[in-house]
Amino acid sequence: MTSNSDHSDAKSPLRVKKVIVLTTAMLTFIPFWKAAAIVLCDFGSSAFYAGGIAMRAFGPAFPWFILAVMLFAGVLLAVYVESCSLFVRGGVYKVVRDGLGDNSAKFAASAMAFDFLLTGPISSVTAGHYLSGLINSFLLQFGAGFTIPEKSFSVAFALLVTAYFWRQNVKGIEESSTKSAKIIAFSLAVCFLLAIWAFITMSLRGVQLPPFTLQFSPESLGWLKDLDWHKTIGVFGMMVAFGHSVLALSGLETLSQVYREIEYPKPQNLKKAAILIFIFALLFTGGLTFLSALIIPPELIAGKYNENLLSGLAMSLAGPNFLKLIMQTLVVIAGVVMLSGAVNTALIGSNALLNRVAEDGILTDWFRKIHRKYGTTYHIINIVAFCQAVVILLSRGNVYLLGEAYAFGVMWCFVLETGSIIMLRFKRAAEKRDFMFPLNIKYENYYIPVGMILVFLFLLGIALVNLMTKQISTVSGLCFTAFLFTVFKISERLNARKANAMFEEGYRERMNTAAASDLQAVVKELEKPNRILVAVKDPDNLYHLEDVLSTVNADDTEVIVLYAKPVENILLRQDMRSNAADEKELFTHVIFLAEKYGLPVVPVMVQSNDAFYAMAQVAAAVDAKEIVMGVSGRHGSNAQMERVVMAFSALKEAELKHPVTARIVWEGREVSYRFNK
Amino acid sequence: MVSNQTGKFKISSILPSDRVFILEGKPAKAEVIERLTRAVCAGEAKLDYKDVLAQVLKREEGISTTLDTGLSIPHARLEELDAFKAALAVLPQGIEDPSGPHLEIKAMFLFLSPARQAFFQQHLQILAALAEVFKPEFISALSTCQNAQQVLDKIDAQ
Repeated sequence: MTSNSDHSDAKSPLRVKKVIVLTTAMLTFIPFWKAAAIVLCDFGSSAFYAGGIAMRAFGPAFPWFILAVMLFAGVLLAVYVESCSLFVRGGVYKVVRDGLGDNSAKFAASAMAFDFLLTGPISSVTAGHYLSGLINSFLLQFGAGFTIPEKSFSVAFALLVTAYFWRQNVKGIEESSTKSAKIIAFSLAVCFLLAIWAFITMSLRGVQLPPFTLQFSPESLGWLKDLDWHKTIGVFGMMVAFGHSVLALSGLETLSQVYREIEYPKPQNLKKAAILIFIFALLFTGGLTFLSALIIPPELIAGKYNENLLSGLAMSLAGPNFLKLIMQTLVVIAGVVMLSGAVNTALIGSNALLNRVAEDGILTDWFRKIHRKYGTTYHIINIVAFCQAVVILLSRGNVYLLGEAYAFGVMWCFVLETGSIIMLRFKRAAEKRDFMFPLNIKYENYYIPVGMILVFLFLLGIALVNLMTKQISTVSGLCFTAFLFTVFKISERLNARKANAMFEEGYRERMNTAAASDLQAVVKELEKPNRILVAVKDPDNLYHLEDVLSTVNADDTEVIVLYAKPVENILLRQDMRSNAADEKELFTHVIFLAEKYGLPVVPVMVQSNDAFYAMAQVAAAVDAKEIVMGVSGRHGSNAQMERVVMAFSALKEAELKHPVTARIVWEGREVSYRFNK
Repeated sequence: MVSNQTGKFKISSILPSDRVFILEGKPAKAEVIERLTRAVCAGEAKLDYKDVLAQVLKREEGISTTLDTGLSIPHARLEELDAFKAALAVLPQGIEDPSGPHLEIKAMFLFLSPARQAFFQQHLQILAALAEVFKPEFISALSTCQNAQQVLDKIDAQ
């Protein structure tokens, strides 16, 4: 639109004085397949170790249980989809706090932190095993008379990977969804190759399905090893075996972390992401583990390839050795990259989790201390990385030991999360859900979640069985959780006064602000042909923004959210400064809304003595087809519209290129005016 | 309520020459409003001057009606009316708008609209037309006029 002036006219007291462009990573949204890739980099990585650990725990029946766990992952994904439909910025801590209360939330956060503390080490140590296994395969192939010690190498490699990602996280380098997608695409290609070759091998050698008989090792029965009644009750034995396989579910929680980033239409894209994750995990983790059991001789699974099962699959295929080595190399590349990604996700996840706890004022300022240069909560990152390094050293490169310690956090988080979603069906019965876990009975205003109650009971059963059978997990998990829970409690008490102040003030999103020379700087940011300008002022009055976000065609329309901040020292009718909103609070609410719909907005702040002039100037500069604002309780919609019409027309210098509609929108009502060409 | 603006509004259609004034000196804004209100109410049996003035001044207490182009548009929407009424004062020396010490008023266009919602789009159309036409150059040109007819001729020529 060439019609209006977009310059800051210094002579006029009403026109824009200063333009500030706000940027935040929180307004970047990703397609469902990228979201799925982020989750899979963590969740899918368990394919590299879950089978070996399960084999050692209960014998050659392990592929059936890994497959069953992957099928069950579909059920849990459905629970997460319902959870995400209630919480845009979810995560187990928030969901449990709303569903079951503060103490349960602290317990869930502690258990989740324990889970993250082990995810990093188990992934990095496994990656070390895959790498050392490959190096040894090459050394053997080329007749070197020595091999490298796999366990020591794995510990060293794990420490290196952890140190690398610790540094990256302190620097605040964001996880790249594009990189995750490339990793998953590469892994999928490797999986495809492996599967084809495995099927050829099976057609040449013949195939025998793995047995279904459970052969528990004494250590896998924990405190129940001296009882033999569990052997007579088949279902109980199956639950024990299932409990030893649930570590394959590690990383599902990432879905609730990544939901915030999923683009419009959010609910549909979440479902697509969940389906993609389920199919990939079923084929990748379930399928490859199953193929490994069909092709690798059982004694090699229990021995040589216990800690690098998929390398074993590559090396047990039919064909010349050099081709198998190439296949193993591809498997190791995929494994090292995916497992290292899981180390990063664990650090990011634990930092996000503890930050969320800190936002509630539970952790003292020391934990929340921001790095001077990078702006990250580096104390939390340091603690998590240090604890992970200690766990790696304590494991001495033993993946099985790490696997045994695992599952406490992940299981109890699932139990509490599912329990919370059930409670929320009653506590927040009226709230609209884009998805409801199936099998519900409608009773008055409630949907009684029969299906989810069954899932909860099953999870609770497995968690209780694990308490009895996974000794290392129970002892270490309970000790760590109790320790962290106590830290939360003490810290909360110490921080009580500050927490109240933080609660009063509310959460503020961090945003970068950059003063722009003029409004043209805003125009440069815009790529889509259509633009809607939404003026905001009151964080509690954003109905009009929500109205725009719920109806806009995001493919071709840019939504520019403008706050015209009153200028200091110039008085019009009253002290303009008293009308100024806290822009951080205002834009935090704007970001929350943008996240809810998964639609990016362009936040802009200008300094002006007349918000309507500012609106007209910015609308002209960005060539907006619509100007949308909320109703002012003080002036009323008619007076507002009069001023917009006057300001826009006063600024008009030439014919409009297209009609421009000004709208004042509030609940159930709208006043509009169309400026024709 | 969505309505399209159709056609161009002709300002002179609501502005007879006896309601156009060229006011020398620097009268107060309230004085100018009073004078224009009196002129509009004159000969309108349905309108009570005091009541109309009160409503115009009340509207002035809300969102400003003064633009940085030098135009002020005091107005009110009245139940008694079923047609638009207006009066114009050209202020060659300019007066300061007390609501904004940095705003100078060089033309004041007072207009009254029927309060019924059906007239609101037309009311906005008039505001748009006035704001669009009364740019600084045009107001400067009006300041050189010697009488009301010259002012009207210039408005008509736009």
